[in-house]
Amino acid sequence: MTQQPQHTKTKRYGMVIDLDKCTGCGACMVACYAENNVPFRQDESDKMRSLNWIRVMKVDNGKPFPDTQVCYIPMPCMQCDGQHMEGHSPCVSVCPAVATDYDQTTGIVSQIYTRCFGCRYCMAACPYHARKFNWWDPKWPADMEKYLNPDVSARMRGVVEKCSFCYHRYQKARDKAYVEGREELHEDEYQTACAQACPTNAIAFGDLHNPEHAVYSLSRSKTAFRLLERLNTNPKVYYLSSKSWVRRKADNYLEGENPEQIREKARKAAATH
Amino acid sequence: MKIDRRCFLSLVIGGAVGTTLTPVPWKLTDDIAIWSQNWPWTPVPEDGPSKFVKSVCTQCPGGCGITVRTIGDRAIKIEGQPDHPVNNGSLCPRAISATQHLYGPSRIQGPMKRAGERGQGKWEKISWDEAIKTVTEKLAELRTRGKPHTVACISDTDGNGSSYLMDRFLQAYGSPNFIRTPSSADAQELALYLSCGRQGTIGYDFRKADFILSFGCALMDGCDTAGQVMSAFGEQDKKTRLVQIEARLSDTAAKAAQWVPAKPGSETALALGLGHVIVRDGLYNKAFIDNHGFAFEDWQDDAGNTHPGYRSLVQDHSPDKVAKATGLSEKVIESLARSFARAHRPVAVSGLGSAAPDSLDQALAVFALNALAGNFQKPGGVFLIDEPDYLSWTEMKIDKTASAGNQHPRVDGAGSEKFAHTRYLPNRLPEAINSAKGDSPVQALLVAGGNPLYTLADPRAAQKAFEKIPFIVSFSTFIDETAEQADLLLPHPHFLESYQDVPTPRGMAHTVVSLARPVVKPQYDTRHMADVVIQIAKNLGGFIENAFPWKNYEDFLRKSLSDQWKTLEKKGFWSDSRSRDTSLDKIFRTSSQRFEFFPMSKFAAMNGNGNKKAGVEKIELPGNIDKLPLVLVPYTSMRISDGAVANTPFMTKTLDANVVLENDVFVEINPKTASEYGLSQGDKATVKTQAGRAEVRVNLFEGIMPGLVAMPAGLGRTGFSDYIAGKGANVYSLIAPAADPASGLNAAWGARAAIAKA
Amino acid sequence: MSTQSDNQTAAAGNRSSGWVVFVFFMIGLVASIISGWVAFPKLLYSTKQQPIDFNHQVHLEQMGGQCNACHFFREDGSFSGSPTLEECKSCHMYPMTGNENEQKFIDEYVNQDKEVPWLIYAEQPPCVFFSHAAHVRGADMQCATCHGDIKNSTSLREYQENRLTGYSRDIWGKSMLRLGEPDHGGRRQKMNDCAECHLKETGSKGNCFQCHK
Repeated sequence: MTQQPQHTKTKRYGMVIDLDKCTGCGACMVACYAENNVPFRQDESDKMRSLNWIRVMKVDNGKPFPDTQVCYIPMPCMQCDGQHMEGHSPCVSVCPAVATDYDQTTGIVSQIYTRCFGCRYCMAACPYHARKFNWWDPKWPADMEKYLNPDVSARMRGVVEKCSFCYHRYQKARDKAYVEGREELHEDEYQTACAQACPTNAIAFGDLHNPEHAVYSLSRSKTAFRLLERLNTNPKVYYLSSKSWVRRKADNYLEGENPEQIREKARKAAATH
Repeated sequence: MKIDRRCFLSLVIGGAVGTTLTPVPWKLTDDIAIWSQNWPWTPVPEDGPSKFVKSVCTQCPGGCGITVRTIGDRAIKIEGQPDHPVNNGSLCPRAISATQHLYGPSRIQGPMKRAGERGQGKWEKISWDEAIKTVTEKLAELRTRGKPHTVACISDTDGNGSSYLMDRFLQAYGSPNFIRTPSSADAQELALYLSCGRQGTIGYDFRKADFILSFGCALMDGCDTAGQVMSAFGEQDKKTRLVQIEARLSDTAAKAAQWVPAKPGSETALALGLGHVIVRDGLYNKAFIDNHGFAFEDWQDDAGNTHPGYRSLVQDHSPDKVAKATGLSEKVIESLARSFARAHRPVAVSGLGSAAPDSLDQALAVFALNALAGNFQKPGGVFLIDEPDYLSWTEMKIDKTASAGNQHPRVDGAGSEKFAHTRYLPNRLPEAINSAKGDSPVQALLVAGGNPLYTLADPRAAQKAFEKIPFIVSFSTFIDETAEQADLLLPHPHFLESYQDVPTPRGMAHTVVSLARPVVKPQYDTRHMADVVIQIAKNLGGFIENAFPWKNYEDFLRKSLSDQWKTLEKKGFWSDSRSRDTSLDKIFRTSSQRFEFFPMSKFAAMNGNGNKKAGVEKIELPGNIDKLPLVLVPYTSMRISDGAVANTPFMTKTLDANVVLENDVFVEINPKTASEYGLSQGDKATVKTQAGRAEVRVNLFEGIMPGLVAMPAGLGRTGFSDYIAGKGANVYSLIAPAADPASGLNAAWGARAAIAKA
Repeated sequence: MSTQSDNQTAAAGNRSSGWVVFVFFMIGLVASIISGWVAFPKLLYSTKQQPIDFNHQVHLEQMGGQCNACHFFREDGSFSGSPTLEECKSCHMYPMTGNENEQKFIDEYVNQDKEVPWLIYAEQPPCVFFSHAAHVRGADMQCATCHGDIKNSTSLREYQENRLTGYSRDIWGKSMLRLGEPDHGGRRQKMNDCAECHLKETGSKGNCFQCHK
C-alpha cells in the first residue's frame, strides 16, 4: 500500500445523485463521451459491447397502468473504497498488471490503458458493470478527430476502460491552484463532466470528507443509499430518492427484508468499528 | 588448434552471456513494450492553449447559451453557459454533442449541383460563382415571364435576421410565399394573437411558478425549451408542483408530482372541464376578469346578436361528461381544478415541444385557464412576449412586377379568407402542389433551413409534390432528406462557424436576444445563406439590389443592431426587462383591449359559423375503427432529435436496447394490449395506419395507456450519415395530416392503427 | 574396456582443447559486450538536427535572465512549453541581428507563417501527464534540475531519437541501465526515475493517475 504524501490532506471524492431530479435526458452520458474521447460505432445497440463510462439505467416499480412509476439511475464507476476503506476494491485486487490502482489521496480508482493487457479480470470482478472492453480500435469518421480532448488519451483495441471521475480535471484544477499559490481546491474547481453537464443539477460531486462540500451532507441524508451495499465494496457514489421502491431496487433484497433497517444496522456497525 | 562445433557453441554462449551484461535485451524488451503502445492509428490529439468561447446553440429554437472549449482552431467540448438567462448552464445532449455534426460525415463540403436523377445521390462540385449564377438566372427568368410568385422559400424560423432577409428578398422579388415549417408553436401563436391581439410568444415564469399544469408538453422530453425548463426544474425546491397530463408515462410525467393519464385528444375537453369546476365554484380571479376579461359572460355584438361567453361554454363540460371523454375520475378532475385555482402562482401550459400538434381550441382552452387564474405579467405567471423587434430596417421600394407578384394569394392558403389569421400552412403545401392542374404553382423552391421532406406530416405526399417542382435549392449544412432531393446545394456553415442572431426562445418569460458566432474557422467551402441571398439580390439588380444595402450578413447585423451589437459581441446575449412590465393596462391589444375568452368574432370570420360554441373539441382521427382498433401516438425523447437535423452518433449511442436494436425501432405498448395481439417483449411486428406501415419491434411498457401504440419521433432517416440513416421508421410518415377546421393547421394528434406480429 | 579408452583418447584428440573453447567464449563475451554497450546505442538511436540552431544564453540575457519569459505558465495553470511562432514574432518580425540562424528563422518560418518543428528533448509519450506547475510552483524546483544547464548553452544539442519507440533519448536511455547521470546535466525522465524521486521527496511513489492519462 502506498504511503500518504505528507503535504496533501486525504480527500475522498464522491458523488451524490438525486434520482428525484434525474430526468434521464442523457446529457451526462454525452458530456462524458465528449470529455473522455469515448468512441462510437454505427450500431451501438449491443449494450454488452457498447463503451460507456456512465450509463443511465431505467427501472420501474412493476405496477400496472396507471400506477406505474419509472426512475432513472445514472451509473458511473462507483470508485469503491473496498471492505475496510483501504482501497481494496474488487477490480484493483484482481488486476495482474497493476493497470488499475487506488489513489489514497483522492480515493479515485485509476485505469491505465497502456498498462492494461486486456485479461478482463477486473470486468468479472466489478459488480456494477462499470468497466468496458475495447473490442475494436476506435475510429472517428470524417474530421471528427479534431474534437478529441488532449487531456485524455485515446484507447486502443484490447484494453479495458472506465470512468476516472475526470481525474484530468482534478490535475488541471491543481495546476491552476499551484500557479495561483494555493494548496486547496474550491468545490466548483473540480467537477466531473457529467456533474457539470447535468441540466437539472441532479449530480453533486465533491470531497466526502469536506463538510463544506455539498456531497458531505447529502451523502449523510436519510434518503441516501448506495448500490449493492451488502457486498461491502463501499462505493463513493451515493444516490438519493424519496421513493422507497427506488431505494429497494438498490440491492437484491428478499421479500421480508427491510432495506432501511439493514442500512441503519450497517451504519451503526460502521460507527462502532 | 582445432576449431570445431564446441568452439562455435562456446562463442555463442559467450555472446549470450555477454549480451545479458549489456543493455541490449533489457532495453529492447522495454522499447518493444513502448513501441507496442504507439499504434499510428490511435490518434494523439494536439495540445495547446485552451480558450472558452461564448456562443449560442441554434440547433433548435431553444436558444441555450453555450461555452465552447477550443484548442487552437479545434472545438473540443460544448458546455452550458452558466450565466445565460435562458438555460443557466443547462444543456441537452444534442447541444453537447454538436461538435460531432461540425466535423461529421454528413456535412456538405461545398456547393454542388445534381449530376444524376433526383435523389440518386450523384453530385458534381461547382464553384460558388457558378452556383449563385444558376440561381440568379433561374429567378431572373421566372421574373421576366411574370411569374415571381411561383418562387417559394421554406424556413424553419421567421424570427431571426437571416429569415427576415429571405422574406425581404421574396418581397422585393415579388413572391408572398415565405413558409415556416410546422411546429408545436403554430397553434399557440394563433391563440395568443386571437385572445390577446399580439403577435409573439407566450412566456411562462417556470422558475417562480408554484403549480405547472402541463397539457402533454414535452417539458423534459426534448422540447424546444429544454434548457430553460430543465434548469428551472433543477433550481426548484420541491414545493413547485408539476402536473403532467399525458397518456404515456413520459420523462416529464415521471418527474411530475402528479401524472394524469388522460386519453390522447381529450385535452381540450379536460381544460374546459377544469374551467367548469373553477367557474362553478367561483374560484376564478374576479378582479382580473372584471377589469381585463372579455366574453367571460355572454355578450352582444354590434348587430345585437347574443353570443355565449366562457361561462356558458364550460357549462356543458361538467366533471361527469369530461370524465367520460378523458377516462379520468370525476374526483381527479375536481381536485385538479381546485388545486390549480388555489395555487398562488399557477401556469397552464400547452404545445411546448409536444410531439403531436395541438388544435387551436386546445391552445385557447388551456390559455383561458391562465386567464381564470389572472396571473398575467406577474412573477411566476404568464408573460406576453412580442415578436422580435431588435433589428432596424431601411425602407424598401419595390417595382411593379414585385408588387403584382406579392398580390397573388399564398400557395399554402394561409391568410386566405378561410384561414385569415393563420400565417403559414406548410402542411397544405404538398396538397396545393399535388392538386394543381398543369404546371406546379411552385416553380422554384428555396429551402433555407428546416427539412420539410422529413418534418412535414405525410412525407410521401410532400415527396410527390417536390417531384413536381422543377427547381429546388437547398441551403442545408447537412445532406438531409430535403437536400437529397434538391437540384442545387448551397451549404450554409455550421452554427459553430458563423454568425446568427437568436431571438427570444419560446416559453421565455422575458426578451433575451443571443448571438451565435464563429467559434472555429469554416471547415469546408460554405457560405452563410444570407450572404448568398444578398449576392443574388445584387446580381438581380434594380429595386431588388437597392433593398439590400449591406455587404454581407455580418455587416447587416452590425448596422441593424447598432448599439446592441457591442453587448452581443461582448456578453453573447442581452435581455430586455421591459417585457416584464407588470401593468395589465396595455398588454391586451384585441379590439376590446381585454383578454378575450374564446374570441368569437375571430371564430366567426374563420368558421363562417358565429353560433358555434366551443369550436372543435376533438379532432377525430380518420379510419375504420374495426380494422384499425388501436391509436398510434408519436412521442419525443431527449435522446432523439426529432427536428430538421438528425441525431449525432453520441445521442444514438445513449439509446437503450429497447428503444432501438440494430436497425429496428421499438413501439411502446401496454402488456395488456400486447397480450391481446399475442405480442411479447422484443417481438418483430408491423404497425399499419391509413398513411402507411412500418416494421417495428415491441417494447412492453406498463406506463402507457392500453389501446395505444407509442413510437418515438426522429428516426427513419435516409439522409445524414450511416450513423443514423436506416434506423427505425419516421412516425410522421404513418400519421396523415388532419386539418384543424378553425386554423387550417395540422392537428393530427395520432393515427388509427393496427399491429400484428411479423 | 580398452576399446572404450581408445575411443575416449581418440575423441579427446579430435576435440579442441579447453583453452581454445575458453578463448572463443571470451571472444563472444567481449564482442557482445562491446557491441551491446557501444554499437547498440548507436544503432538504436538516429541523430536528428534541430530545424534551426538556438542560443539560449543570448536570449536569456535579452529577457532578463528569466526562463519564464518564453516558457511560461498560462492563467489556467498549464505550461506553455516551447514558444509558438506568434510569441517569437513579437521580437523577430524583422531581423534584429546579422545572425544566419535568425535570418533562416525569418525566411523559412516568419515569412511563411509556419510553426518551427522543434524537436523537444523532454517530450513525454501521449499517455503521460506531467505537471510543470506542481514541480516548479508546488515543489519550488529549478528548471535545471531536470533539464540541465540549458540556459547557459549557446547552441542546441543534437536530438537522438529511439528508432523503435520514436521518443527522445533524453527521457529514455541517455544513461543506459541507470548508470550515472545523463550527460546534459539534468535528470533521467523515465517512469522509474520519477517514482524514485517522488519516493525520496514525498514518501510515496505516487499513484498511476498522477502521471498517466
